[in-house]
Amino acid sequence: MNWHRVGAMVLKNQYAFRRDVFRIFDIFWWPAFQLFIWGLFSTYLASASANRVNLVTVLLGGIIIWTFFDRASKDISLALIDELWNKNFINLFSSPLTVSEYLMGVVLISLLKLFISAAFMFLIAGAFYSVHITTFGWYFVPAAVGLTLMGWTMSLIVQACIMRWGHTVEVFIWAIATLVQPFSCVFYPLRALPEWAQTLARALPTTYLFENMRSNMMGQGIILSQLGLSFGLNILYFLVALWFFYRTFAYAKAQGLIIKNY
Amino acid sequence: MEPILTVSHLSKRFGSPTHGFVAVDDVSFTLREGEILGLLGPNGAGKTTTITMLLGLILPTAGDISYFGKPFGSHRQASLARINFASSYAQVQSKVTVRQNLLIYAGLYAVRDTSRRIAELLRLLEVEDTADQLFWKLSSGQKTRVILAKALINRPRLILLDEPTSSLDPDIAAKVIDIIKTLQKKEGVAILYTSHNMREVEEVCDRVMIMSHGKIVAEDTPLELTKKIGNARVTVTFDGPSEKVFSYLNAKQYRHRFPRGQVVAVDLPGKAIPKLLFGLANEGVWLTDIDIEKPGLEEVFLSITKGSYER
Repeated sequence: MNWHRVGAMVLKNQYAFRRDVFRIFDIFWWPAFQLFIWGLFSTYLASASANRVNLVTVLLGGIIIWTFFDRASKDISLALIDELWNKNFINLFSSPLTVSEYLMGVVLISLLKLFISAAFMFLIAGAFYSVHITTFGWYFVPAAVGLTLMGWTMSLIVQACIMRWGHTVEVFIWAIATLVQPFSCVFYPLRALPEWAQTLARALPTTYLFENMRSNMMGQGIILSQLGLSFGLNILYFLVALWFFYRTFAYAKAQGLIIKNY
Repeated sequence: MEPILTVSHLSKRFGSPTHGFVAVDDVSFTLREGEILGLLGPNGAGKTTTITMLLGLILPTAGDISYFGKPFGSHRQASLARINFASSYAQVQSKVTVRQNLLIYAGLYAVRDTSRRIAELLRLLEVEDTADQLFWKLSSGQKTRVILAKALINRPRLILLDEPTSSLDPDIAAKVIDIIKTLQKKEGVAILYTSHNMREVEEVCDRVMIMSHGKIVAEDTPLELTKKIGNARVTVTFDGPSEKVFSYLNAKQYRHRFPRGQVVAVDLPGKAIPKLLFGLANEGVWLTDIDIEKPGLEEVFLSITKGSYER
């Protein structure tokens, strides 16, 4: 083994690491995420056992409903990154295609994939754990719509960032769900979070959707005001994200970033 | 006849007014039906920025672009529906077959009678056998031809070709050039063509514009451009003593040198060549071999980049 060459490899990775702030994300965020999620869930587990909550149903419900956010947040951004990887972006946008038509096409295919994914999940959950769509009752519809809308909001923001900064920020396509998940109270109630995190969680439409899901599954009904607040926030964030996306696209055109990055 | 494309005082500045740089500086030109216009220039001259502005992918800082007599800004979709683009650096979907890729673009350009058009193009570009192959599995030459097929899918009146042969072997590049010439003949398509290959441009283009530092520094037919650069080189091999040749050339003030004993190389304007040859013959010099090297676009290009070219 030649230690000069090994040293050169260490140097190469160190240089690359220092120039890419998003690699730091890997070092700090993932361990914190794991600790945060499972720490809070364990705390909730202890209290829930005492209250005889059906944990399997609540947990699986969270996973199934979360799929809508997870898929919606990835599919649209992945469609954009796929164009970049294929070097197809310039050909697409030198055709009469408009940005709105592009987005609509991507959204429609994302919806189709979402339905297939959800159907498959229900199939497995039903077969192995007796969790069916009926477990959620009518609440399944607003929960799925709300989470899908929030996923698209995140996806629009990530797409705009990719247009602005290029491949460097690709990591957010996969990371965005894990950034939002701990504060969305998917597997544990809002009260399980520390005070500062609760403030942040209350600003997320997803939190209210999961709070209501648990409440609904435990037969405690749905708080409609919370559901209304969730949709209000969701629509507001979606409109802001849409505005941000169009504005960034115009900026990318003005600065020549579309050519530079693609 | 109305030009297909009119570009007036087009400029593009990147960055701030104080710290930015001007990539395209007050460029104006027109392109007519069926014409092939070459856009040449060294790296960073502003060719790609110009082309991408023509496609609406970069917004100009100043100036106007009109297609078919209508402003591009307010008729973007209608204009893009009648033009197309091909480049060696812009590809199509790699994990999709050639036919499926063409179907996608046929949809984007709202092409009627799609299947027939695709079959027609695959035949014209001699890639029929690749129709059901995945794009990434094709050779570079096949990929270029498929991208050309994409550029023709909507029966465009104008195609912007940005270095279409840059990554190709010379034999494949020659084939692509033949195809481009055929397209002009058969379909009457106007083409704006950028390339680094001067011979290719000389062969294909009716008119050439040379860009340097964002400006158009020369514009004419390839022949006229090369005439403007001036001198051809005539290398004459002769029998007999060189003194007679030497004194004749000195008397007539021809720039010359003797690379070998009975060989003389003379630099002179192309139209003066017959006069030189008759003059030497009249002096009784027995000419045994004559070699004439006329300047090409490459020399024009080099003289522009060295700054010795005069408009």
